[in-house]
Amino acid sequence: MPYPILDPTGTTGSTAAQRPAPPRARRPASLRGATVGLLVNTKQNAAPFLDEVGRLLEERYGAAGVLARTKVNFAAPAPEDLVKEMTAGCDVLVTGIGDCGSCSASAVADGITFEAAGLPAAAICSDAFTVTADAMAELRGAPGYRYATTPHPVAILTADQVRERAARVLDDVVALLTA
Amino acid sequence: MTEAPDPEVAQAAIEYCYAQGWSDGLPLVPASPPLVEAFLATTTRSPDEVIGELEQVGRNCTVYLAAINAAMAGCRPEYFPVVLAAFDALMRERAARGGGWQSTSGPAPMIVVNGPVRHELGFNTAGGAFGPGFRPNATVARAIGLIVRNAFGIRPHVLEQATQGLPGRWSICLAENEEESPWPPFAADGGQPAGASAVSATLLRTCEFVDNRHTGDPEQVLWDIADTISRTGSLIFRDTSAGVVFCPEHAQLLAAAGYAKPDVQAWLMEHCGRTGADLRRAGKNGLRGPARFADPDESADGTFTRILPSPTHVPLVVAGARNAAISMVVRIFGEWSGTAIPLGVTP
Repeated sequence: MPYPILDPTGTTGSTAAQRPAPPRARRPASLRGATVGLLVNTKQNAAPFLDEVGRLLEERYGAAGVLARTKVNFAAPAPEDLVKEMTAGCDVLVTGIGDCGSCSASAVADGITFEAAGLPAAAICSDAFTVTADAMAELRGAPGYRYATTPHPVAILTADQVRERAARVLDDVVALLTA
Repeated sequence: MTEAPDPEVAQAAIEYCYAQGWSDGLPLVPASPPLVEAFLATTTRSPDEVIGELEQVGRNCTVYLAAINAAMAGCRPEYFPVVLAAFDALMRERAARGGGWQSTSGPAPMIVVNGPVRHELGFNTAGGAFGPGFRPNATVARAIGLIVRNAFGIRPHVLEQATQGLPGRWSICLAENEEESPWPPFAADGGQPAGASAVSATLLRTCEFVDNRHTGDPEQVLWDIADTISRTGSLIFRDTSAGVVFCPEHAQLLAAAGYAKPDVQAWLMEHCGRTGADLRRAGKNGLRGPARFADPDESADGTFTRILPSPTHVPLVVAGARNAAISMVVRIFGEWSGTAIPLGVTP
């Protein structure tokens, strides 16, 4: 009987696909009167981008206001107390901008975490990072998790271009956040 | 060995490893239970001990998984304590515990080995320090890459998003040329006593040579190094970190002129930087928090901006042959932890 060739991954029999799918939060019918959480990941232009998304959601969709917070470590999952605070204080959440190797995956992972905590979430990623964002969704037991994309690059956009991008992604964000 | 092994069996085993997606592109040594047991026998640490964790992907690495990957990388069992110490050293780096392995920068570990273990295990301590050609240097570095790929599950084009990466990403393991260095070993800068076998590590974005065999004036050599460190292409934050892997000739020239390591670090901290005009020309003069951006403001054009904030941001190593005055600037991704890991007790 020959020896087996050993598996160096440590994942035999415990692949992510076998994990139970995390629950998706219930969507409101509209954003009228909603408090919109904005989770900014500190990437260049993320703050003005999400600020504009928040402003447009108030102006065009009747959102009541925003609660903006910053995630200092853009590669890591959102800290538990931040998840609690935003879930308690918001009706829906927008997070991003996923514009790098680790933060795109992380934005999607956070979206899935907020969903499981009961807060409908829309992650926004640059379209250069969809493969890594999808891979993270699969790791989190949510293959096919939907998020919004904006064309790459984001970091070098002017203030006017950022506002234009926010306007362009708005319908996708609303579709992700509402029933 | 009296009889050569069956090449077709070896080829089939190598192809099996490729088919599982375990390889970094080069052939792997198929790991068998007895081989991995030999690795585990070199350490007192439990096979189940978790030696690194990546929270965002929900994966970790145990001593056992590290042993399999080290075996596959081509390490001999006796190298395993060096692999473990190198991995421990890397896990002291904030970037390596965070998103560094996924980064568009595609950073490379730079491992530095000090002490008697260099000769006991046959590390190259002389010419060709950055490789290739020497099994311990080549395979210890490769083992780290396989751990990241297999145990952490960070694979190119998927969770690993390197834009271009860098040459020799999983191959930089220097054994310091302590015999020809005029200064205390690098492990001493990481808090280990002189003479200790210890391993240090950080992450690099690239290396760039400084060929200066033109002068015997230490300041001219330092100016040449400062020019390379100060180029704008690598500046993305307010602060940067750039070490120097000195060749023995440059190190000895500096030491003979009275420069101890802290003197070299202080000189480079003082002289490395750019004017506001230089930074503005490259679109890097503005600061938003720690990050640089293009700012039309010209008011700081005449100001010289220093870029190396502390001696830890300027680690100095001595490696290579004494046959030419060629040193290497090593561009650090993030910041070196400033700690060296002593080798564990080997039973």
